[in-house]
Amino acid sequence: MVERKRIGIPEGVKVKESVGEEAEFPFDISPMYEGERIRKGDMFVELGGPTQPGFELVMALPVDQVEDMKVTLIGPDLDEMEEGKAYPYAMIYYIAGEMVETDLEPVIERRNHDFQNYIEGYMHLNQRYDIWIRIGKNAIKKGLKSLIQIAKATMMLYKNELPFIEKIEAVYITDKDLVEKLLNELAMPIFEERDARVEALSDEDVDEFYSCTLCQSFAPTNVCIVSPDRPSLCGAITWFDGRAAAKVDPEGPNRAVPKGECVDPIGGEYTGVNEFAKQESGGEYERIKLHSFFEYPHTSCGCFEVIGFYMPEVDGIGWVHRGYAEPAPNGLTFSTMAGQTGGGKQVVGFLGIGIAYFRSKKFIQADGGWYRVVWMPKELKERVAKYIPDDIRDKIATEEDAKTLDELKEFLKKVDHPVVKGVVRPVDGQKITNGWVEEEEEAEEAVEEVAAEAPAAQPAQPAAMQPMPMQMPGFQLSALQIPASSAAPAGVKLIIKDAKITIDKVIVRKAEKEKKGGK
Amino acid sequence: MTVIAVAGKGGTGKTLVSALLVNFISEHTTSVLAVDADPDSNLPEALGVEDQIKKTLGEIRELFQVSRDEMGTMNKEQWLEGKIYAEAICECPRYDLLVMGRPEGEGCYCFANSLLRGVLRRLMRHYDYIIIDTEAGLEHFSRKTIDSADYIIIVTDMSRKGLATAKRIKELAEELRLNFKKIFLIANKIASEDAERAIRKFVKEEGLELLAVLPYDTSVAELDLRGDPVSEIDKNSEVYRKMREVASLMLNLSVKAR
Repeated sequence: MVERKRIGIPEGVKVKESVGEEAEFPFDISPMYEGERIRKGDMFVELGGPTQPGFELVMALPVDQVEDMKVTLIGPDLDEMEEGKAYPYAMIYYIAGEMVETDLEPVIERRNHDFQNYIEGYMHLNQRYDIWIRIGKNAIKKGLKSLIQIAKATMMLYKNELPFIEKIEAVYITDKDLVEKLLNELAMPIFEERDARVEALSDEDVDEFYSCTLCQSFAPTNVCIVSPDRPSLCGAITWFDGRAAAKVDPEGPNRAVPKGECVDPIGGEYTGVNEFAKQESGGEYERIKLHSFFEYPHTSCGCFEVIGFYMPEVDGIGWVHRGYAEPAPNGLTFSTMAGQTGGGKQVVGFLGIGIAYFRSKKFIQADGGWYRVVWMPKELKERVAKYIPDDIRDKIATEEDAKTLDELKEFLKKVDHPVVKGVVRPVDGQKITNGWVEEEEEAEEAVEEVAAEAPAAQPAQPAAMQPMPMQMPGFQLSALQIPASSAAPAGVKLIIKDAKITIDKVIVRKAEKEKKGGK
Repeated sequence: MTVIAVAGKGGTGKTLVSALLVNFISEHTTSVLAVDADPDSNLPEALGVEDQIKKTLGEIRELFQVSRDEMGTMNKEQWLEGKIYAEAICECPRYDLLVMGRPEGEGCYCFANSLLRGVLRRLMRHYDYIIIDTEAGLEHFSRKTIDSADYIIIVTDMSRKGLATAKRIKELAEELRLNFKKIFLIANKIASEDAERAIRKFVKEEGLELLAVLPYDTSVAELDLRGDPVSEIDKNSEVYRKMREVASLMLNLSVKAR
């Protein structure tokens, strides 16, 4: 981790200091000024922006290292600047408090944008190393003399709005060499470190997820649950976006969802999420597993970027994105499948996701993750290639390898895809599918087995990952089920393994002539 | 903030009206935002500033769609705001200009549009005058990218289609609950007294208020065809004089309303 410490002030630079609260400011401070645009012609000076280096940075320090309400300005102040010119600009804040942690730095840093835009005649744009500030001529006319006044006003807002900040100190820099040096040596490494931490953040690391109901106008029962390991289906909203939006408008489309207890760490089921889903969907569904394809999957809105589809013929999952117009190996196009699945329904066998979910460490982990994936269009596969584990990447077919189920079967056999012999899910090492081999050997029996086992086994073994064919939409009725009803000759052999069957009533009736035999 | 939306069928001269309003109103205050909300129109050309346009709002929205996965913890609303302020708003000497550009492509724009609405709302409230050149479908209003209009000016010529469109715009504006204070009509390219009489009858029937009747002026029509800026219109022409009167009327109206 980059060490957090006060910056060193080089010799020979001009330094101004001021400690304590300002009694009065020569400008108004109000959220009313947010969005105020200072036009080039009305501008006194520009700080940072397209032509000059700049950055803003919040660093959490121990309490004894922060001098409360102190401002240090290094470099020329406003009265030494020439009208109409652009200058380098860095704003560094040291903060301290019992609840202040390094993890909060980015959250606190974001607020600099809000607070500074409350200041009349001061425009703040962008973030991090992109900051762009304009100070209006009007502000100068009204009596703004020094950047120290700006820093004091900002610090005051910080302390008022975020009371957990016990001490705050600001260092503003307009000296070009120092801004550039600190940008490269201090700020950039910290920004990179933060991004790396984001990649590593998991569902387990946070207490709250965020909901998104932005698209409920199209899908009234859809509730997107956005967690660190699961971005929204439209691909636009990450956990960080949800958190930012929920802070601004807690009752808006992105609300905090307390996780509650974790019911199923592998499938990603939480009591808080279940309660929220039940309430927001109007009781339409009661359980959601964030990282499961087959069991209580997340609902699909209509906005999703990619749809996943189960192919019982190969016992694997394919994915197709919006931009791919050809039919997938199951014979259906993205839009056909999306039409069946969208609208905020929980449809077993199909799942809408955002492309960013392919990056997730928990990507459908309950159902084998990448090891259950058998097909995706080349364009999509290339886009997410670096997130596919090395040992499976070449075993996932694209349209160049297979366009039909038969071609897909051939390909999977040739590359020895895990679905052929049975998938072991990496998350806990459990073997979750049996593979095809067994099925082929005892073809007839296996067919009967599935048909007889499925309805009974479900309540007894909720962990069984076999999807129930009857839960699928009509057009998906699989090859597995058809022979079971049409080709049922006399002398049926039933094999039931590891099953507990509870039956209230059984009626055995002699088959009627015309139905017997089928053909 | 006073929002004036200028709508009408293509070819009736609504862009000419919008551009002249921008020119006249910005003589009184530089707190003016001109918005080109018609993908088929050419407000920047009519204002003579097409060389200064960097990006349309639509282009920035597309850029957002492809870059958003790589933004990490960056705040996306701030990202969009920064791009819009830096690249979509064109700083002309007396006013700012925003070109909305093409409507969205495939995929989900719920989030992008939701952020855009927030950014635009905060931006727009700081201008004294916003003049919007909008297509007849009022798409940006129905999508709430722009949430209200104080005055709606419908521009029509004598064509049956122009009048039918004018009627539809009025109905739509009422349905969308834009909370407008007044809805006006400007009749353009009116070549005869008969035509003027017909227009007056139409205005009465539809419950509109007639703001101006502009004659057919060959030099204006040619200028429009060539895509030359309206600033080159003959200062003594009837079109120019009448539009100046319209602009002062709008200025007076909005001052009274405040």
